[in-house]
Amino acid sequence: MKKIAILLVTCLAIASCKSDDEGGSEPILGNLTLDFKNVIENTDIELGTNTYTNGSAENYKISELKYIISNIVLINDNGEEFKYPVDQSYFLVNEEVSTSKSIPLSDIPSATYTKIRFGIGVDQSKYPIESGTANFIPTAEEAGMLWNWSAGYKFIKFEGTFGDADTPFLIHVGSHGATLDNYKEVTLDLSSNVIVSDSATASIGISADIAKIFDSTNTHSLVEKSDIQVDPENAPKIAENINTMFTVTAVFN
Amino acid sequence: MYISIILIGASCSSDKDEYVPIVENNTLEFKVPANFPEPTYNVSLNPPTEKGFELGKKLFYDGRLASDGVVSCGFCHIQDFAFTHHTHIVSHGVDGAIGTRNAQPLHNLAFMKEFTWDGVATHLDLQPIIPITAEVEMNETFSNVISKLEKEPAYVTLFAQAFENKKIDSENMLKALSQFMIMMISSNTKYDRIERNEGSVFTEEEVAGFELFTSKCATCHAGTLFTDQSFRNNGLAIDPQYNDIGRKRITGLEEDQYKFKVPSLRNIELTFPYMHDGRLRTLMDVMDHYSDGMTDSETLDPMFKDENGTVTGIPMTAIEKEQIIAFLKTLTDDVFLNDNRFSEF
Repeated sequence: MKKIAILLVTCLAIASCKSDDEGGSEPILGNLTLDFKNVIENTDIELGTNTYTNGSAENYKISELKYIISNIVLINDNGEEFKYPVDQSYFLVNEEVSTSKSIPLSDIPSATYTKIRFGIGVDQSKYPIESGTANFIPTAEEAGMLWNWSAGYKFIKFEGTFGDADTPFLIHVGSHGATLDNYKEVTLDLSSNVIVSDSATASIGISADIAKIFDSTNTHSLVEKSDIQVDPENAPKIAENINTMFTVTAVFN
Repeated sequence: MYISIILIGASCSSDKDEYVPIVENNTLEFKVPANFPEPTYNVSLNPPTEKGFELGKKLFYDGRLASDGVVSCGFCHIQDFAFTHHTHIVSHGVDGAIGTRNAQPLHNLAFMKEFTWDGVATHLDLQPIIPITAEVEMNETFSNVISKLEKEPAYVTLFAQAFENKKIDSENMLKALSQFMIMMISSNTKYDRIERNEGSVFTEEEVAGFELFTSKCATCHAGTLFTDQSFRNNGLAIDPQYNDIGRKRITGLEEDQYKFKVPSLRNIELTFPYMHDGRLRTLMDVMDHYSDGMTDSETLDPMFKDENGTVTGIPMTAIEKEQIIAFLKTLTDDVFLNDNRFSEF
Protein backbone atom coordinates (compact mmCIF):
# COMPACT_ATOMS: atom_id res chain seq x y z
CA MET A 1 0.00 0.00 0.00
CA LYS A 2 2.80 2.32 0.98
CA LYS A 3 4.53 1.47 -2.25
CA ILE A 4 1.44 2.36 -4.22
CA ALA A 5 1.08 5.61 -2.34
CA ILE A 6 4.68 6.53 -3.07
CA LEU A 7 4.21 5.57 -6.67
CA LEU A 8 1.08 7.68 -6.85
CA VAL A 9 2.78 10.67 -5.30
CA THR A 10 5.64 10.27 -7.74
CA CYS A 11 3.24 10.02 -10.65
CA LEU A 12 1.32 13.04 -9.51
CA ALA A 13 4.53 14.95 -9.02
CA ILE A 14 5.65 14.05 -12.51
CA ALA A 15 2.20 14.80 -13.87
CA SER A 16 2.05 18.22 -12.28
CA CYS A 17 5.56 19.06 -13.45
CA LYS A 18 4.70 17.97 -16.93
CA SER A 19 1.49 19.94 -17.11
CA ASP A 20 3.39 23.02 -16.01
CA ASP A 21 5.87 22.46 -18.78
CA GLU A 22 3.40 21.68 -21.50
CA GLY A 23 0.70 24.08 -20.50
CA GLY A 24 -1.95 21.75 -19.04
CA SER A 25 -2.01 18.93 -21.58
CA GLU A 26 -2.30 16.26 -18.89
CA PRO A 27 -5.65 14.47 -18.68
CA ILE A 28 -8.25 16.11 -16.54
CA LEU A 29 -10.72 13.61 -15.19
CA GLY A 30 -14.44 14.05 -14.90
CA ASN A 31 -17.62 12.20 -14.06
CA LEU A 32 -20.40 10.97 -16.28
CA THR A 33 -23.74 9.45 -15.41
CA LEU A 34 -25.68 7.08 -17.63
CA ASP A 35 -29.42 7.43 -16.98
CA PHE A 36 -31.40 4.46 -18.20
CA LYS A 37 -35.12 4.65 -18.78
CA ASN A 38 -37.20 1.62 -19.61
CA VAL A 39 -40.06 2.73 -21.83
CA ILE A 40 -42.85 1.47 -24.03
CA GLU A 41 -44.26 3.95 -26.53
CA ASN A 42 -42.03 6.63 -25.02
CA THR A 43 -43.56 6.32 -21.56
CA ASP A 44 -41.83 4.82 -18.54
CA ILE A 45 -43.02 1.30 -18.01
CA GLU A 46 -44.98 0.39 -14.92
CA LEU A 47 -44.52 -2.97 -13.31
CA GLY A 48 -47.56 -5.02 -12.43
CA THR A 49 -50.32 -2.62 -13.36
CA ASN A 50 -50.12 -1.48 -16.97
CA THR A 51 -51.19 -3.70 -19.82
CA TYR A 52 -49.19 -3.54 -23.04
CA THR A 53 -49.81 -5.11 -26.41
CA ASN A 54 -47.10 -6.68 -28.52
CA GLY A 55 -46.86 -7.01 -32.29
CA SER A 56 -48.58 -10.39 -32.15
CA ALA A 57 -51.62 -8.64 -30.60
CA GLU A 58 -51.00 -10.27 -27.25
CA ASN A 59 -51.70 -8.29 -24.08
CA TYR A 60 -49.08 -8.53 -21.37
CA LYS A 61 -48.08 -7.10 -18.01
CA ILE A 62 -44.53 -6.86 -16.75
CA SER A 63 -43.65 -7.97 -13.23
CA GLU A 64 -39.88 -7.88 -13.38
CA LEU A 65 -37.26 -6.36 -15.64
CA LYS A 66 -33.54 -6.55 -14.99
CA TYR A 67 -30.56 -6.50 -17.30
CA ILE A 68 -26.79 -6.32 -17.11
CA ILE A 69 -24.87 -3.45 -18.71
CA SER A 70 -21.14 -4.01 -19.10
CA ASN A 71 -17.89 -3.10 -20.83
CA ILE A 72 -18.62 0.57 -21.30
CA VAL A 73 -16.53 2.37 -23.92
CA LEU A 74 -16.67 6.07 -24.79
CA ILE A 75 -15.54 7.21 -28.22
CA ASN A 76 -14.35 10.78 -28.69
CA ASP A 77 -14.52 13.11 -31.67
CA ASN A 78 -11.14 11.82 -32.89
CA GLY A 79 -12.43 8.26 -32.89
CA GLU A 80 -10.30 7.40 -29.89
CA GLU A 81 -11.79 4.97 -27.42
CA PHE A 82 -11.79 5.25 -23.67
CA LYS A 83 -12.46 1.89 -22.11
CA TYR A 84 -13.97 2.14 -18.66
CA PRO A 85 -11.97 -0.16 -16.31
CA VAL A 86 -13.43 -3.58 -17.01
CA ASP A 87 -13.47 -4.74 -13.41
CA GLN A 88 -15.69 -1.77 -12.53
CA SER A 89 -17.76 -1.98 -15.66
CA TYR A 90 -20.57 -4.34 -14.64
CA PHE A 91 -23.92 -2.88 -13.70
CA LEU A 92 -27.33 -4.27 -12.98
CA VAL A 93 -30.28 -2.21 -14.17
CA ASN A 94 -33.37 -3.17 -12.19
CA GLU A 95 -36.63 -1.45 -13.10
CA GLU A 96 -37.80 -1.80 -9.52
CA VAL A 97 -34.81 0.07 -8.05
CA SER A 98 -34.59 3.59 -9.38
CA THR A 99 -31.00 4.13 -8.22
CA SER A 100 -29.90 1.15 -10.32
CA LYS A 101 -31.01 2.97 -13.45
CA SER A 102 -28.49 5.71 -12.87
CA ILE A 103 -24.98 4.47 -13.50
CA PRO A 104 -22.24 6.75 -12.17
CA LEU A 105 -18.92 6.62 -14.01
CA SER A 106 -15.90 8.41 -12.62
CA ASP A 107 -12.34 9.31 -13.63
CA ILE A 108 -13.15 9.69 -17.28
CA PRO A 109 -10.59 11.64 -19.28
CA SER A 110 -11.95 15.04 -20.20
CA ALA A 111 -12.89 15.04 -23.89
CA THR A 112 -15.71 15.55 -26.31
CA TYR A 113 -17.35 12.20 -26.80
CA THR A 114 -19.58 11.39 -29.73
CA LYS A 115 -20.43 7.73 -29.22
CA ILE A 116 -20.93 5.20 -26.48
CA ARG A 117 -20.61 1.43 -26.66
CA PHE A 118 -21.68 -1.08 -24.05
CA GLY A 119 -22.41 -4.75 -23.68
CA ILE A 120 -25.69 -6.32 -22.68
CA GLY A 121 -24.77 -9.20 -20.41
CA VAL A 122 -21.37 -10.62 -19.66
CA ASP A 123 -18.87 -11.36 -22.40
CA GLN A 124 -18.43 -15.10 -22.32
CA SER A 125 -14.95 -14.96 -23.77
CA LYS A 126 -14.08 -12.78 -20.80
CA TYR A 127 -15.96 -14.76 -18.14
CA PRO A 128 -12.74 -15.84 -16.52
CA ILE A 129 -11.32 -14.03 -13.62
CA GLU A 130 -8.86 -11.90 -15.53
CA SER A 131 -11.75 -9.74 -16.68
CA GLY A 132 -12.62 -8.83 -13.12
CA THR A 133 -16.18 -10.06 -13.51
CA ALA A 134 -16.00 -12.33 -10.49
CA ASN A 135 -16.72 -9.51 -8.09
CA PHE A 136 -20.01 -8.96 -9.86
CA ILE A 137 -21.13 -12.42 -8.70
CA PRO A 138 -22.68 -11.36 -5.35
CA THR A 139 -24.63 -8.51 -7.01
CA ALA A 140 -25.89 -10.79 -9.75
CA GLU A 141 -26.67 -13.54 -7.31
CA GLU A 142 -28.70 -11.33 -4.98
CA ALA A 143 -30.72 -10.11 -7.94
CA GLY A 144 -31.36 -13.64 -9.14
CA MET A 145 -29.26 -13.04 -12.23
CA LEU A 146 -27.12 -16.13 -11.80
CA TRP A 147 -28.24 -19.57 -12.86
CA ASN A 148 -27.31 -21.57 -9.84
CA TRP A 149 -26.92 -24.78 -11.78
CA SER A 150 -24.53 -23.18 -14.18
CA ALA A 151 -21.65 -20.82 -13.89
CA GLY A 152 -23.43 -18.26 -15.99
CA TYR A 153 -25.24 -14.96 -15.76
CA LYS A 154 -28.75 -14.17 -16.87
CA PHE A 155 -28.16 -11.15 -19.10
CA ILE A 156 -31.80 -10.13 -18.96
CA LYS A 157 -34.63 -11.24 -16.77
CA PHE A 158 -37.99 -10.20 -18.16
CA GLU A 159 -41.07 -11.68 -16.55
CA GLY A 160 -44.79 -11.05 -16.38
CA THR A 161 -48.12 -12.42 -17.47
CA PHE A 162 -50.03 -12.40 -20.74
CA GLY A 163 -53.45 -13.09 -22.19
CA ASP A 164 -56.85 -13.16 -20.53
CA ALA A 165 -55.81 -15.94 -18.17
CA ASP A 166 -52.75 -14.01 -16.98
CA THR A 167 -50.47 -16.84 -18.07
CA PRO A 168 -46.94 -16.29 -16.76
CA PHE A 169 -44.15 -15.56 -19.19
CA LEU A 170 -40.48 -15.77 -18.40
CA ILE A 171 -37.60 -14.65 -20.56
CA HIS A 172 -34.07 -15.28 -19.31
CA VAL A 173 -31.33 -14.81 -21.86
CA GLY A 174 -27.72 -15.66 -21.17
CA SER A 175 -24.79 -17.67 -22.42
CA HIS A 176 -24.39 -21.34 -21.66
CA GLY A 177 -21.37 -23.55 -21.89
CA ALA A 178 -19.14 -23.02 -24.86
CA THR A 179 -21.82 -23.23 -27.52
CA LEU A 180 -24.56 -20.70 -26.81
CA ASP A 181 -23.25 -17.15 -26.54
CA ASN A 182 -25.85 -14.41 -26.39
CA TYR A 183 -23.60 -11.54 -25.28
CA LYS A 184 -24.02 -8.52 -27.53
CA GLU A 185 -22.57 -5.04 -27.74
CA VAL A 186 -24.32 -1.94 -29.00
CA THR A 187 -22.75 1.33 -30.21
CA LEU A 188 -24.93 4.41 -29.99
CA ASP A 189 -24.40 7.84 -31.51
CA LEU A 190 -24.87 10.55 -28.92
CA SER A 191 -27.66 12.95 -29.81
CA SER A 192 -25.21 15.74 -29.12
CA ASN A 193 -21.62 15.60 -27.97
CA VAL A 194 -20.99 15.00 -24.32
CA ILE A 195 -18.22 17.08 -22.87
CA VAL A 196 -16.59 15.50 -19.85
CA SER A 197 -14.68 17.93 -17.67
CA ASP A 198 -13.77 18.35 -14.05
CA SER A 199 -16.26 21.15 -13.56
CA ALA A 200 -19.59 19.33 -13.85
CA THR A 201 -20.99 15.83 -14.07
CA ALA A 202 -22.27 15.22 -17.56
CA SER A 203 -25.01 12.73 -18.22
CA ILE A 204 -26.32 10.64 -21.06
CA GLY A 205 -29.97 9.63 -21.12
CA ILE A 206 -30.45 6.18 -22.62
CA SER A 207 -33.85 4.86 -23.36
CA ALA A 208 -34.60 1.15 -23.61
CA ASP A 209 -37.69 0.44 -25.67
CA ILE A 210 -38.95 -2.67 -23.91
CA ALA A 211 -41.54 -3.39 -26.62
CA LYS A 212 -38.64 -4.30 -28.87
CA ILE A 213 -37.88 -7.37 -26.78
CA PHE A 214 -40.83 -8.93 -28.59
CA ASP A 215 -40.89 -6.97 -31.82
CA SER A 216 -37.81 -5.75 -33.59
CA THR A 217 -35.43 -7.67 -35.87
CA ASN A 218 -37.42 -10.74 -34.89
CA THR A 219 -41.02 -11.11 -33.79
CA HIS A 220 -41.78 -13.19 -30.77
CA SER A 221 -45.21 -14.43 -29.85
CA LEU A 222 -45.84 -15.40 -26.23
CA VAL A 223 -48.57 -17.82 -27.25
CA GLU A 224 -45.97 -19.70 -29.24
CA LYS A 225 -43.39 -19.72 -26.47
CA SER A 226 -43.76 -18.12 -23.07
CA ASP A 227 -40.79 -19.68 -21.31
CA ILE A 228 -37.43 -18.87 -22.83
CA GLN A 229 -34.41 -19.97 -20.85
CA VAL A 230 -31.81 -22.28 -22.31
CA ASP A 231 -33.22 -22.00 -25.78
CA PRO A 232 -30.82 -22.18 -28.73
CA GLU A 233 -33.55 -21.07 -31.13
CA ASN A 234 -35.44 -18.28 -29.36
CA ALA A 235 -32.90 -16.86 -26.92
CA PRO A 236 -30.53 -15.66 -29.70
CA LYS A 237 -33.48 -13.98 -31.45
CA ILE A 238 -34.51 -12.20 -28.25
CA ALA A 239 -30.86 -11.20 -27.73
CA GLU A 240 -30.83 -9.68 -31.23
CA ASN A 241 -34.00 -7.75 -30.42
CA ILE A 242 -32.60 -6.49 -27.12
CA ASN A 243 -29.58 -5.23 -28.99
CA THR A 244 -31.84 -2.83 -30.91
CA MET A 245 -33.80 -1.45 -27.98
CA PHE A 246 -31.40 1.23 -26.78
CA THR A 247 -31.27 4.83 -28.02
CA VAL A 248 -29.65 7.94 -26.64
CA THR A 249 -32.41 10.42 -25.89
CA ALA A 250 -30.59 13.23 -24.13
CA VAL A 251 -27.17 14.57 -23.28
CA PHE A 252 -26.53 17.02 -20.47
CA ASN A 253 -23.21 18.77 -20.05
CA MET B 1 12.17 -32.84 -3.41
CA TYR B 2 9.95 -30.12 -4.68
CA ILE B 3 7.49 -30.67 -1.83
CA SER B 4 10.16 -30.42 0.79
CA ILE B 5 11.38 -27.14 -0.62
CA ILE B 6 7.90 -25.71 -0.36
CA LEU B 7 7.51 -26.98 3.16
CA ILE B 8 10.81 -25.53 4.24
CA GLY B 9 9.91 -22.28 2.54
CA ALA B 10 6.55 -22.22 4.30
CA SER B 11 7.91 -22.97 7.74
CA CYS B 12 10.67 -20.38 7.39
CA SER B 13 8.26 -17.65 6.47
CA SER B 14 5.83 -18.52 9.24
CA ASP B 15 8.70 -18.48 11.75
CA LYS B 16 9.59 -15.08 10.50
CA ASP B 17 6.02 -13.91 11.06
CA GLU B 18 6.69 -13.49 14.73
CA TYR B 19 9.41 -10.96 14.15
CA VAL B 20 8.97 -9.52 10.71
CA PRO B 21 5.65 -8.10 9.59
CA ILE B 22 6.27 -8.73 5.89
CA VAL B 23 5.49 -12.30 4.89
CA GLU B 24 7.11 -13.62 1.80
CA ASN B 25 4.65 -15.11 -0.62
CA ASN B 26 6.71 -17.24 -2.95
CA THR B 27 5.42 -18.31 -6.30
CA LEU B 28 4.89 -22.05 -6.60
CA GLU B 29 6.24 -23.82 -9.61
CA PHE B 30 3.50 -25.08 -11.90
CA LYS B 31 5.24 -27.91 -13.67
CA VAL B 32 3.73 -29.56 -16.73
CA PRO B 33 4.66 -33.28 -16.68
CA ALA B 34 6.84 -34.26 -19.64
CA ASN B 35 4.15 -36.52 -21.10
CA PHE B 36 1.32 -34.00 -20.68
CA PRO B 37 -0.11 -31.49 -23.16
CA GLU B 38 0.06 -27.75 -22.52
CA PRO B 39 -2.43 -26.62 -19.88
CA THR B 40 -5.67 -24.97 -20.96
CA TYR B 41 -5.59 -22.86 -17.81
CA ASN B 42 -3.63 -19.65 -18.29
CA VAL B 43 -1.38 -20.01 -15.28
CA SER B 44 0.35 -16.68 -15.89
CA LEU B 45 -2.93 -14.87 -15.13
CA ASN B 46 -3.29 -16.52 -11.74
CA PRO B 47 0.12 -17.86 -10.79
CA PRO B 48 -0.12 -20.08 -7.73
CA THR B 49 1.70 -18.76 -4.69
CA GLU B 50 2.43 -20.35 -1.36
CA LYS B 51 -0.20 -18.27 0.41
CA GLY B 52 -2.74 -18.40 -2.41
CA PHE B 53 -2.46 -22.18 -2.45
CA GLU B 54 -2.74 -22.35 1.35
CA LEU B 55 -5.81 -20.16 1.22
CA GLY B 56 -7.34 -22.22 -1.59
CA LYS B 57 -6.79 -25.39 0.39
CA LYS B 58 -8.31 -23.88 3.52
CA LEU B 59 -11.35 -22.79 1.52
CA PHE B 60 -11.61 -26.19 -0.14
CA TYR B 61 -11.88 -27.92 3.21
CA ASP B 62 -14.02 -25.28 4.94
CA GLY B 63 -17.70 -25.91 5.64
CA ARG B 64 -18.21 -22.14 5.86
CA LEU B 65 -18.63 -22.21 2.11
CA ALA B 66 -21.90 -24.06 2.68
CA SER B 67 -25.12 -22.87 4.29
CA ASP B 68 -24.93 -25.54 7.02
CA GLY B 69 -21.30 -24.88 7.88
CA VAL B 70 -20.45 -28.52 7.24
CA VAL B 71 -20.48 -29.54 3.60
CA SER B 72 -17.15 -28.33 2.27
CA CYS B 73 -15.78 -29.04 -1.21
CA GLY B 74 -13.70 -31.76 0.40
CA PHE B 75 -16.86 -33.40 1.76
CA CYS B 76 -17.69 -34.85 -1.64
CA HIS B 77 -14.15 -34.74 -3.01
CA ILE B 78 -12.08 -37.04 -0.82
CA GLN B 79 -8.40 -37.34 -1.61
CA ASP B 80 -8.07 -41.08 -0.88
CA PHE B 81 -10.49 -41.72 -3.72
CA ALA B 82 -8.99 -39.24 -6.17
CA PHE B 83 -11.26 -36.56 -4.73
CA THR B 84 -14.53 -38.36 -5.35
CA HIS B 85 -17.33 -39.07 -2.88
CA HIS B 86 -16.42 -42.63 -2.01
CA THR B 87 -19.22 -45.14 -2.61
CA HIS B 88 -21.78 -42.40 -3.00
CA ILE B 89 -23.84 -42.86 -6.14
CA VAL B 90 -24.75 -39.19 -6.41
CA SER B 91 -23.43 -36.19 -4.51
CA HIS B 92 -24.81 -35.27 -1.12
CA GLY B 93 -25.46 -31.71 -0.05
CA VAL B 94 -26.63 -29.65 2.92
CA ASP B 95 -29.60 -30.75 5.04
CA GLY B 96 -29.53 -34.23 3.55
CA ALA B 97 -30.14 -32.98 0.02
CA ILE B 98 -29.27 -35.46 -2.68
CA GLY B 99 -27.90 -34.36 -6.04
CA THR B 100 -28.45 -36.04 -9.36
CA ARG B 101 -24.91 -36.70 -10.49
CA ASN B 102 -21.81 -38.50 -9.30
CA ALA B 103 -19.05 -36.26 -7.91
CA GLN B 104 -16.21 -36.29 -10.41
CA PRO B 105 -12.58 -36.78 -9.47
CA LEU B 106 -10.43 -33.67 -9.20
CA HIS B 107 -7.08 -33.96 -10.89
CA ASN B 108 -5.34 -32.41 -13.86
CA LEU B 109 -8.00 -29.71 -13.96
CA ALA B 110 -5.55 -27.22 -15.46
CA PHE B 111 -5.66 -29.33 -18.63
CA MET B 112 -9.43 -29.49 -19.03
CA LYS B 113 -11.46 -27.26 -21.35
CA GLU B 114 -14.89 -27.61 -19.79
CA PHE B 115 -16.07 -28.77 -16.40
CA THR B 116 -18.82 -30.88 -14.86
CA TRP B 117 -20.58 -33.74 -16.60
CA ASP B 118 -22.29 -31.50 -19.12
CA GLY B 119 -19.60 -28.86 -19.63
CA VAL B 120 -21.63 -26.01 -18.20
CA ALA B 121 -18.60 -24.36 -16.64
CA THR B 122 -16.21 -23.22 -19.35
CA HIS B 123 -13.50 -22.02 -17.00
CA LEU B 124 -12.07 -23.52 -13.84
CA ASP B 125 -12.27 -20.20 -11.99
CA LEU B 126 -16.04 -20.24 -12.33
CA GLN B 127 -16.71 -23.89 -11.66
CA PRO B 128 -16.93 -23.52 -7.84
CA ILE B 129 -19.91 -21.18 -8.27
CA ILE B 130 -22.01 -24.21 -9.14
CA PRO B 131 -21.50 -26.37 -6.03
CA ILE B 132 -21.42 -23.35 -3.70
CA THR B 133 -24.75 -22.00 -4.88
CA ALA B 134 -26.61 -25.19 -5.89
CA GLU B 135 -29.46 -25.94 -3.49
CA VAL B 136 -28.67 -29.65 -3.46
CA GLU B 137 -24.99 -29.06 -2.82
CA MET B 138 -23.70 -26.25 -0.61
CA ASN B 139 -26.74 -23.98 -1.00
CA GLU B 140 -24.93 -20.80 -0.03
CA THR B 141 -24.58 -17.32 -1.52
CA PHE B 142 -21.32 -15.57 -2.26
CA SER B 143 -22.31 -12.59 -0.13
CA ASN B 144 -22.85 -14.87 2.85
CA VAL B 145 -19.61 -16.75 2.33
CA ILE B 146 -17.69 -13.49 2.10
CA SER B 147 -19.24 -12.10 5.27
CA LYS B 148 -18.48 -15.35 7.12
CA LEU B 149 -14.84 -15.26 5.96
CA GLU B 150 -14.47 -11.60 6.96
CA LYS B 151 -15.23 -12.58 10.55
CA GLU B 152 -12.33 -15.02 10.68
CA PRO B 153 -8.97 -13.45 11.54
CA ALA B 154 -7.16 -16.38 9.90
CA TYR B 155 -8.84 -15.55 6.59
CA VAL B 156 -8.25 -11.83 6.93
CA THR B 157 -4.55 -12.62 7.32
CA LEU B 158 -4.40 -15.20 4.53
CA PHE B 159 -6.26 -13.09 1.96
CA ALA B 160 -3.97 -10.19 2.81
CA GLN B 161 -0.89 -12.36 2.39
CA ALA B 162 -2.10 -14.05 -0.78
CA PHE B 163 -3.33 -11.06 -2.76
CA GLU B 164 -1.90 -7.65 -3.32
CA ASN B 165 -5.22 -5.86 -2.85
CA LYS B 166 -5.71 -7.88 0.39
CA LYS B 167 -9.44 -8.08 -0.25
CA ILE B 168 -11.79 -10.85 0.80
CA ASP B 169 -13.98 -10.96 -2.28
CA SER B 170 -15.36 -13.43 -4.82
CA GLU B 171 -12.52 -12.86 -7.22
CA ASN B 172 -9.77 -13.62 -4.74
CA MET B 173 -11.73 -16.51 -3.32
CA LEU B 174 -12.12 -18.14 -6.74
CA LYS B 175 -8.52 -17.36 -7.66
CA ALA B 176 -7.28 -19.08 -4.50
CA LEU B 177 -9.45 -22.13 -5.14
CA SER B 178 -8.05 -22.34 -8.67
CA GLN B 179 -4.49 -22.00 -7.40
CA PHE B 180 -5.10 -25.00 -5.17
CA MET B 181 -6.86 -27.01 -7.84
CA ILE B 182 -4.46 -26.43 -10.73
CA MET B 183 -1.63 -27.77 -8.57
CA MET B 184 -3.53 -31.05 -8.23
CA ILE B 185 -1.70 -32.85 -11.00
CA SER B 186 -1.83 -36.61 -11.12
CA SER B 187 1.04 -37.81 -13.30
CA ASN B 188 2.91 -40.45 -11.34
CA THR B 189 1.12 -43.65 -12.25
CA LYS B 190 2.80 -46.77 -13.50
CA TYR B 191 1.48 -45.82 -16.93
CA ASP B 192 3.23 -42.44 -16.70
CA ARG B 193 6.51 -44.00 -15.62
CA ILE B 194 6.34 -46.28 -18.64
CA GLU B 195 5.32 -43.49 -21.00
CA ARG B 196 8.21 -41.35 -19.74
CA ASN B 197 10.67 -44.29 -19.86
CA GLU B 198 11.34 -44.11 -16.17
CA GLY B 199 12.07 -47.78 -15.82
CA SER B 200 8.69 -49.35 -15.12
CA VAL B 201 7.32 -52.13 -17.29
CA PHE B 202 3.82 -53.51 -17.84
CA THR B 203 3.01 -57.08 -16.86
CA GLU B 204 1.93 -59.39 -19.67
CA GLU B 205 -1.71 -58.90 -18.75
CA GLU B 206 -1.30 -55.13 -18.68
CA VAL B 207 0.37 -55.18 -22.11
CA ALA B 208 -2.55 -57.15 -23.50
CA GLY B 209 -4.95 -54.77 -21.78
CA PHE B 210 -3.14 -51.72 -23.12
CA GLU B 211 -3.34 -53.04 -26.67
CA LEU B 212 -7.05 -53.80 -26.31
CA PHE B 213 -7.62 -50.42 -24.70
CA THR B 214 -5.83 -48.67 -27.56
CA SER B 215 -7.96 -50.35 -30.18
CA LYS B 216 -11.31 -50.37 -28.34
CA CYS B 217 -11.41 -47.42 -25.94
CA ALA B 218 -8.82 -44.82 -26.86
CA THR B 219 -10.90 -43.09 -29.53
CA CYS B 220 -12.77 -41.33 -26.72
CA HIS B 221 -10.44 -41.92 -23.80
CA ALA B 222 -7.66 -40.43 -25.85
CA GLY B 223 -4.17 -39.24 -25.05
CA THR B 224 -2.38 -39.03 -21.80
CA LEU B 225 -5.36 -37.43 -20.08
CA PHE B 226 -7.49 -40.40 -21.19
CA THR B 227 -10.27 -38.20 -22.52
CA ASP B 228 -10.83 -36.40 -25.79
CA GLN B 229 -12.94 -33.98 -23.72
CA SER B 230 -15.93 -34.51 -25.99
CA PHE B 231 -19.53 -35.13 -24.96
CA ARG B 232 -21.08 -38.43 -26.00
CA ASN B 233 -24.00 -40.71 -25.39
CA ASN B 234 -22.59 -44.09 -24.37
CA GLY B 235 -25.89 -45.94 -24.34
CA LEU B 236 -26.90 -45.79 -20.70
CA ALA B 237 -30.62 -46.51 -20.33
CA ILE B 238 -32.58 -43.48 -19.13
CA ASP B 239 -33.04 -43.54 -15.39
CA PRO B 240 -36.58 -42.23 -14.83
CA GLN B 241 -35.64 -41.15 -11.30
CA TYR B 242 -33.39 -38.41 -12.69
CA ASN B 243 -34.34 -38.28 -16.37
CA ASP B 244 -31.05 -36.48 -16.88
CA ILE B 245 -30.96 -34.99 -20.38
CA GLY B 246 -27.20 -34.41 -20.19
CA ARG B 247 -25.59 -31.72 -22.26
CA LYS B 248 -28.91 -30.66 -23.78
CA ARG B 249 -29.52 -28.82 -20.52
CA ILE B 250 -26.72 -26.45 -21.49
CA THR B 251 -27.08 -26.15 -25.23
CA GLY B 252 -30.81 -26.75 -25.57
CA LEU B 253 -29.98 -28.82 -28.65
CA GLU B 254 -31.75 -32.10 -29.36
CA GLU B 255 -28.52 -33.51 -30.68
CA ASP B 256 -26.97 -33.13 -27.21
CA GLN B 257 -29.67 -35.13 -25.44
CA TYR B 258 -28.17 -37.75 -23.08
CA LYS B 259 -24.61 -36.74 -23.86
CA PHE B 260 -22.10 -36.45 -21.03
CA LYS B 261 -18.46 -35.58 -20.88
CA VAL B 262 -16.04 -38.41 -21.63
CA PRO B 263 -14.29 -38.65 -18.26
CA SER B 264 -10.58 -39.08 -17.74
CA LEU B 265 -9.74 -42.60 -16.64
CA ARG B 266 -6.89 -41.66 -14.37
CA ASN B 267 -7.32 -43.16 -10.89
CA ILE B 268 -10.39 -44.98 -12.23
CA GLU B 269 -9.73 -47.90 -9.92
CA LEU B 270 -10.70 -45.70 -6.97
CA THR B 271 -13.41 -43.46 -8.33
CA PHE B 272 -16.26 -45.95 -8.20
CA PRO B 273 -19.18 -45.96 -8.63
CA TYR B 274 -19.07 -45.08 -12.31
CA MET B 275 -20.94 -43.04 -14.91
CA HIS B 276 -22.61 -39.63 -14.49
CA ASP B 277 -25.15 -41.04 -12.07
CA GLY B 278 -22.91 -43.59 -10.39
CA ARG B 279 -25.08 -46.46 -11.56
CA LEU B 280 -22.25 -48.94 -12.21
CA ARG B 281 -20.49 -50.28 -9.15
CA THR B 282 -17.39 -51.95 -10.51
CA LEU B 283 -15.06 -51.75 -13.47
CA MET B 284 -16.39 -55.14 -14.59
CA ASP B 285 -19.91 -53.65 -14.58
CA VAL B 286 -18.55 -50.94 -16.84
CA MET B 287 -17.02 -53.52 -19.20
CA ASP B 288 -20.32 -55.41 -19.25
CA HIS B 289 -22.18 -52.23 -20.07
CA TYR B 290 -19.96 -51.54 -23.06
CA SER B 291 -20.08 -55.12 -24.35
CA ASP B 292 -23.73 -56.01 -23.76
CA GLY B 293 -25.63 -53.34 -21.87
CA MET B 294 -26.17 -50.46 -24.26
CA THR B 295 -29.55 -48.95 -24.97
CA ASP B 296 -30.14 -47.43 -28.38
CA SER B 297 -31.41 -43.87 -28.77
CA GLU B 298 -31.27 -41.10 -31.36
CA THR B 299 -28.06 -39.68 -29.97
CA LEU B 300 -26.21 -42.92 -29.19
CA ASP B 301 -22.67 -42.47 -30.43
CA PRO B 302 -22.50 -43.98 -33.93
CA MET B 303 -19.30 -45.83 -33.09
CA PHE B 304 -21.39 -48.23 -31.03
CA LYS B 305 -23.45 -49.27 -34.07
CA ASP B 306 -22.69 -51.27 -37.18
CA GLU B 307 -23.46 -50.14 -40.73
CA ASN B 308 -27.03 -51.45 -40.42
CA GLY B 309 -27.65 -49.36 -37.35
CA THR B 310 -27.62 -52.34 -35.01
CA VAL B 311 -26.14 -51.62 -31.59
CA THR B 312 -22.93 -53.58 -31.27
CA GLY B 313 -21.34 -51.87 -28.29
CA ILE B 314 -17.72 -52.81 -27.80
CA PRO B 315 -17.36 -56.57 -28.25
CA MET B 316 -15.04 -58.01 -25.61
CA THR B 317 -14.45 -61.50 -24.23
CA ALA B 318 -14.32 -62.14 -20.50
CA ILE B 319 -10.54 -62.43 -20.63
CA GLU B 320 -10.21 -59.24 -22.61
CA LYS B 321 -12.26 -57.41 -20.00
CA GLU B 322 -9.94 -58.63 -17.27
CA GLN B 323 -6.95 -57.52 -19.29
CA ILE B 324 -8.36 -54.05 -19.90
CA ILE B 325 -9.13 -53.68 -16.19
CA ALA B 326 -5.57 -54.73 -15.36
CA PHE B 327 -4.33 -51.97 -17.63
CA LEU B 328 -6.74 -49.43 -16.13
CA LYS B 329 -5.27 -50.15 -12.72
CA THR B 330 -1.91 -48.89 -13.97
CA LEU B 331 -3.60 -45.45 -14.00
CA THR B 332 -3.74 -45.31 -10.20
CA ASP B 333 -1.46 -42.63 -8.81
CA ASP B 334 -0.41 -43.39 -5.25
CA VAL B 335 1.88 -40.38 -5.12
CA PHE B 336 -1.05 -38.09 -5.86
CA LEU B 337 -3.44 -39.89 -3.52
CA ASN B 338 -1.01 -39.52 -0.64
CA ASP B 339 0.37 -36.10 -1.47
CA ASN B 340 0.24 -34.10 1.79
CA ARG B 341 0.06 -30.84 -0.07
CA PHE B 342 -3.55 -31.62 -0.91
CA SER B 343 -4.58 -33.28 2.35
CA GLU B 344 -7.04 -31.78 4.77
CA PHE B 345 -4.88 -32.55 7.80
